[in-house]
Amino acid sequence: MSPDWFLYITLTLYTLGTASALLAVIRRSPLLQKPALALMAAGLITHTIWIGSICVRTGHAPITNLPETASFIAWTILVIKLLLHFRYRIQGANFFIYPLVLILLVLSALIGESIEPLEPALRSRVFIGHLLLTNLGVAALLIAGGFTILYLIQEKAVREKRQSALSAWLPSLRACDQISYRALAVGFSIYTAGIFTGFIWSYMTPESASGPGAKEIGAFVAWLMFAALLQSHLSGNYRTRKNLVIAAVAFASILVSILGIQHA
Amino acid sequence: MLVLIGLNHKTAPVEVRERMSVQEDALEDELNLLRALPGVEGVVVISTCNRVEIACSVQGDEAAGLIVARQAERARMERSELERHLYILRDGDVVRHLFRVASGLDSMIVGEPQIAGQVRQGYHAARATKTLDPLLHKLFEHTLRVAKKIRTETGIGEHAVSIPYAAVELARKIFGELEGLRVLLVGAGKIGELTAQHLKGHGLKEILVANRSPERARELASRFCGEVVPFESLRSELSRCDIVIASTASPTFVIGRDEVEESMDARRHRDLFLVDLSVPRNIDPEIAQVSGAYLYNIDDLKEIADSNKEIRLSKAAVAGTIVDREVETFLGRLATQEAIPTILELRERLEDLRAAELEKCLRKMGPISPEQRAAIEALSNGIINKVLHYPILRLKESAADNRPESGEVIRETIRKIFGLR
Repeated sequence: MSPDWFLYITLTLYTLGTASALLAVIRRSPLLQKPALALMAAGLITHTIWIGSICVRTGHAPITNLPETASFIAWTILVIKLLLHFRYRIQGANFFIYPLVLILLVLSALIGESIEPLEPALRSRVFIGHLLLTNLGVAALLIAGGFTILYLIQEKAVREKRQSALSAWLPSLRACDQISYRALAVGFSIYTAGIFTGFIWSYMTPESASGPGAKEIGAFVAWLMFAALLQSHLSGNYRTRKNLVIAAVAFASILVSILGIQHA
Repeated sequence: MLVLIGLNHKTAPVEVRERMSVQEDALEDELNLLRALPGVEGVVVISTCNRVEIACSVQGDEAAGLIVARQAERARMERSELERHLYILRDGDVVRHLFRVASGLDSMIVGEPQIAGQVRQGYHAARATKTLDPLLHKLFEHTLRVAKKIRTETGIGEHAVSIPYAAVELARKIFGELEGLRVLLVGAGKIGELTAQHLKGHGLKEILVANRSPERARELASRFCGEVVPFESLRSELSRCDIVIASTASPTFVIGRDEVEESMDARRHRDLFLVDLSVPRNIDPEIAQVSGAYLYNIDDLKEIADSNKEIRLSKAAVAGTIVDREVETFLGRLATQEAIPTILELRERLEDLRAAELEKCLRKMGPISPEQRAAIEALSNGIINKVLHYPILRLKESAADNRPESGEVIRETIRKIFGLR
């Protein structure tokens, strides 16, 4: 069985799981969340095998180019989501997390994996460390950004005494708040470390330096935005419309920075 | 035959309902007494503050009257007086009524979930007292299944339709689980107390009580197993709690904007849910502007409760159609089961007949070959089967017809014609 099969099986499982979760929201039937969770969990297993197979075939950690990165981030997000589920019993946010995971993996599959060994310049430990840290950071920050947006939307609805149709499905305000804050704090630290190691690596290998591209600009903007969000959390003034915009921009910039990845 | 005699909040005022209600300790005796009446094969009594329902499985027409007479005696009322408030239902109507009652469709607050439990209690009591017969047993099992089905399929009990519940729902939307939260109850208004009680019922453990009168505060605190807080130190308590319920008679604001803003720093800007149940308002409406504070007054909660009532009414309509379907299913199943004994008896009777006549014939005929014997057996079987074909078909059809009367008529006719018991 060619390893590519695992990719297709994963995609199928994720698609079915996402569809089930979305149906659960549309048809207001919480029962559909259970199969959704089972499908996504099963998909996670085959996803892990797929990532492992890339690792084995290319001989390097599976996070060096765009398809690998997107796939890895999707994997990390789903792992975090499952941890959140068992810790917080959060089901409401599935309708945005599952599609995000699915889209990232579809992106990865569409671009297609080229099985090649890494160029020598990219094989250093510092580089791999940079990739690992930024990928983990991105996954956590995407979750933080998503939950911040959910929190602010719901917060506004409660404050203005409106009953939004979505509100029955979202986790409680406090849960969204706690998750977004923790994901932000953890993700931001890891991401900063990742960017820092990136600087070190480019300093160590000047010949591979090129001008700032989409990846760098996206990362920079995202870093600034998330720093602003973190700052507003600490100052206590984070329930603002401005933050909603900042979170949305941060979310988008991170996606841009992923898309800007090249190497191989 | 099924008979149901009852009254509810729509047909009888509370004075009559009081007299008719059956207390828990008197239930067993009443069940036995009713069961002992001639014609009564099984009885279940459901008695709540809003209704009394006596469901019986009976033979003959006198039983219903006897039950009414007994209830008039028990309630110490003139029979004619009581009858003005009673409804007497039979057969299919009993089934429909019970399904609707258990699903909360007949309740004062449509869709309320307690009634299903009360119906279950009545059913269990009858089972323990052994006043259930197979028909009632089937009926109540199906009733409880229908109630559960309606609850899960329509979600009719879900949205809060009362002010205290609307407040609890909001608290859960803001905080998620209520365990570990602290609520400050200021004042002693009825709705405020009810809200605190509901919050406690949903897992909230710590209740602080503040009142201008220390005795009142102590009394409330002991009722909730809570803590008394001096009225003067409201300000500092704000930083300790997550929910504030205000319902005092004070004509001025009891909690102002500065107090909340100050406490926000102390509580690290965690969410604060304020419920103002008093008129004139006790909580400064400007507080709604403070980041992290959510202020709902009694009008807001009433609006939520009212719009939820609309939702419930529309769900009740859907539930009504489900009930109709289930009634048909139940009656159909019942009729089929009732037809089966007749079918079996009919077969048995004709089979005995065939066997007897075959014996007589074979004795007269003397020795015959196996093939001849087989042919004669086949002939007699064929005749009997053809004869039985249409009666059994009609029996089954009338069962599927769902009108118990037509099924019963056909059964009776067939029993008469074929000389069955």
